[in-house]
Amino acid sequence: MPKITVDGNIIEVPDGRTLLQALDDAGLLMNGVDIPHYCWHPKLSIDGSCRLCQVEVEGLPKLQIACNTHVADGMVVRTDSERVKSAREGVLELLLVNHPLDCPICDQAGECKLQDYAYDYGVGESRSREPRRALKKNVDLGPTIVFDQERCILCRRCTRFCDEIPGTGELVVVKRGDDSRIETFPGQPLSNAYSMNVADICPVGALTTKDFRFKVRVWFLEDVPGVCTGCSKGCNVHLGVATNKVYRYTPRRNDDVNETWLCDAGRNTYAEIGGAHRLKHIQVRNDAGQLETVSFAAALEEAAARIAKLRDGSGASALAGLASPHASNEDLLVFRRLLDALGVERSGVAVVRGDGDDILIQPEKAANEAGARALGFEDAAPVAEAIRKGQVSGLITLGHDVLDARYLGGSEALAGLETVIALDTHQSELQRVAHVIFPVRHAAEKFGTLTNHAGRVQRIRPAVEPSWEAHPEGAVLARLGQALGLPGFDGSFEARAVSRELGSVQSAFRGIDWDSVGEGGRALSGEGT
Amino acid sequence: MLLVPYVTGHLSEHFGDDSYGTLKGYERLGGYQAARRALTKMSPDEVIEVVKDSGLQGRGGAGFPTGVKWGFMPKNTDQPKYLVCNADESEPGSFKDRILMERGPHAVLEGILIAAWAMGARTTFIYIRGEYGFPADQMERAVAEAYAAGYLGARAMKSRFDHDVVIQRGAGAYICGEETGLLESLEGKKGQPRKKPPFPAQYGAFGMPTTVNNVETFAHVPHILARGAEWFRSLGTEKSPGTTIFGVSGHVTRPGLYELPLGTPLREIVYEHAGGPPEGRTVKGVIPGGMSMPILPADQLDVPMANEFLRERKTMLGTGGIMVMDDTTCMVRVASVVTYFFRDESCGQCTQCREGTGWLDKIVNRIERGAGVPEDLETLLDVAGKMEGQTICAFADAAAWPVQGLLRHFRGDFEEHIRRKKCPFSGSFEL
Repeated sequence: MPKITVDGNIIEVPDGRTLLQALDDAGLLMNGVDIPHYCWHPKLSIDGSCRLCQVEVEGLPKLQIACNTHVADGMVVRTDSERVKSAREGVLELLLVNHPLDCPICDQAGECKLQDYAYDYGVGESRSREPRRALKKNVDLGPTIVFDQERCILCRRCTRFCDEIPGTGELVVVKRGDDSRIETFPGQPLSNAYSMNVADICPVGALTTKDFRFKVRVWFLEDVPGVCTGCSKGCNVHLGVATNKVYRYTPRRNDDVNETWLCDAGRNTYAEIGGAHRLKHIQVRNDAGQLETVSFAAALEEAAARIAKLRDGSGASALAGLASPHASNEDLLVFRRLLDALGVERSGVAVVRGDGDDILIQPEKAANEAGARALGFEDAAPVAEAIRKGQVSGLITLGHDVLDARYLGGSEALAGLETVIALDTHQSELQRVAHVIFPVRHAAEKFGTLTNHAGRVQRIRPAVEPSWEAHPEGAVLARLGQALGLPGFDGSFEARAVSRELGSVQSAFRGIDWDSVGEGGRALSGEGT
Repeated sequence: MLLVPYVTGHLSEHFGDDSYGTLKGYERLGGYQAARRALTKMSPDEVIEVVKDSGLQGRGGAGFPTGVKWGFMPKNTDQPKYLVCNADESEPGSFKDRILMERGPHAVLEGILIAAWAMGARTTFIYIRGEYGFPADQMERAVAEAYAAGYLGARAMKSRFDHDVVIQRGAGAYICGEETGLLESLEGKKGQPRKKPPFPAQYGAFGMPTTVNNVETFAHVPHILARGAEWFRSLGTEKSPGTTIFGVSGHVTRPGLYELPLGTPLREIVYEHAGGPPEGRTVKGVIPGGMSMPILPADQLDVPMANEFLRERKTMLGTGGIMVMDDTTCMVRVASVVTYFFRDESCGQCTQCREGTGWLDKIVNRIERGAGVPEDLETLLDVAGKMEGQTICAFADAAAWPVQGLLRHFRGDFEEHIRRKKCPFSGSFEL
């Protein structure tokens, strides 16, 4: 590997890469070696047009753009010389000559690279006496994105994104010189499954999402690392949290999973966390057939009584358990143990499927099917079949995916069951037939790990706290096991501790627990990434 | 019949003869013999050696040694190699390529054929400025004649070399004269220069190894092969051999095209050949090589027209388009014409160019309107300095240099505008 000298420090970098790429690969870019840049993006082609990343390379008379300068052994680079500083000041001054400086009303303010770099590398004052360009402030580019022409610095990340990632090419630069602007073709709006990424990669406030704009100032948001639960890809996200509310998902870079991207559908699943359709009441069906809100303890008592009655009467074979592909590995491990302790053999996992693509979107519309499978939950079709044939009298179900057309196609088949115990995050038809209902926590509200479609275990942590009583499935099931007097159940559940037990149950999990997977996750042994 | 005044050299000696534009007429005067000899009796390397020895420099503006450029083309490659004839001639003040195509299209074609043989190029694209209707017609006709005669196409000139020529018309952007902007446009894309590396010799037209040369550069080649490198070196200066066609325009009594050896003093071109300024006027300044080259004041007209001398005066030969301005000229208005042009023609990719050209234009126009302030002049120089040498292509330099040149030599004009809060000139041209 070539050795280069950057500002006096010798760095070993991969061969065949440009300076910015090599520094990014080494994790040093803007993290030890500061070379500000706009048009360059680690996952897009090199444009070389913003000219902000100019550095001095020994032996070359002109400044070179770090994004397009290939590293070579012995290369000596200066990123902090007077010439470099002056060039950066020039670029930033020129970018600001026509910039509207409407930061007080701009959603990007606080996470704006023009603000940041102007503070860090700019001259701090303007010499321009000329009127600024007056352009359109509110161009509707499509269903998800609004464009402010005045704020645009024409780095063209967005056009390259549309060309290179979804391959849809909706955005182009029209006209030339200082008339240049980003446009869509007439009648061809920016509309693809990944369109909202353009707002993430826009370094300024030119492209904003209709969903997030004007909702909250970003400096109030805490970025909590988490995982998108929209499908089994397990894209790494930041949950933008303020006042105990998730305002948005933004992609969190993980080159082994989602690189720097997030699909629009997944991104919008943040709304499910605090949505109106959350299950908020612990309920038990009374003798009149009505659901009644009760205490957690009362619901546990009712559930335990119903299960015990069935087990002792018809035997464990009359019971079935359905795992949720939305629950964490730790929740599912407790469920596995509960079913095993009860002697329940009929179990499975129901997963809703939809369209996928070869970019990020997976057909399984749940985050943890692979985890459920690894813990011994096969597809729920045979369980559904048994229910339809009347071979099941009691059901413990985590989630309601079994109502999907691939399985039961509604709640009808469950109506005749003697006992249905439901643990769920959201309202569904299941409430029509359930006898005991436990609201449980969303992935954004608890600790745990999820296993993505490729067998990568990634961790989640609570970003918000539900304002109603809800526990993780594992906690409910642990208490249930205790109430049933099952061996090994003391009623306690601490997800990070449980994660350390995964390996003892399923060898694929060996060496993997909440702490050790880190923020980037780790592959199950024997699996790829 | 040629209507513009001219002085002749090897390129232009037959321009008065209408038949020179036809294959028959061209061949009667010795045309295509150099190409025939090259294709049948010389190796590609021998051809490149002769061109290198001749010292021929590109005539499109940058003055890069042609033989060296040809040597950059990869020799052992399975990819098709392309040659491009840059006939965009978009530099204001330049009109030499136009007459070369109008009056001597076969000389250009013969040069292309020799160059193609030397570099093993399969196809040549001639990219002709969109406004050049008649020159394009002439080239089309010449290409058709050459095909009919078997000089182009499969087994060109009965050699074992296949070569096709395709004519492509531009659509009116200055930047399509920049070689990689041209290649983008040729491929049907928006004309904007490519970042380098890769250079065209590695990744050119349609991603294939490509060399781009100017029309006049090609036109010299048959003569160099016919008469030898020594002969070519006997013309011009030691460092800038050969002749070029100077196009003289502006405040002179005989504007036109003059083929003269490089190194001819600017004063001789302006006064003796182009007739000097109109009666009662004096020369104030001269742009020596197309609008992007810094202006020279009247007291520097003795400079020999070759880069080694012009560079000492912080300007360059460029395309040899000489623009003469007399004492009625307001240099702030000249600046405003220049800044407007470059603001309008910037492709808009690079920050410095996109924003800098607009800023310069706004400042210059404000000064011309009488609303300038003394600090404006430093701002102009500073902005021009920050545009220079920092962008993908040389366009930002081309936009910055003329402003720097005008301020270097005619700062008084700017200061007077600012002091009197109006343009002190009357009768200079209106925008």
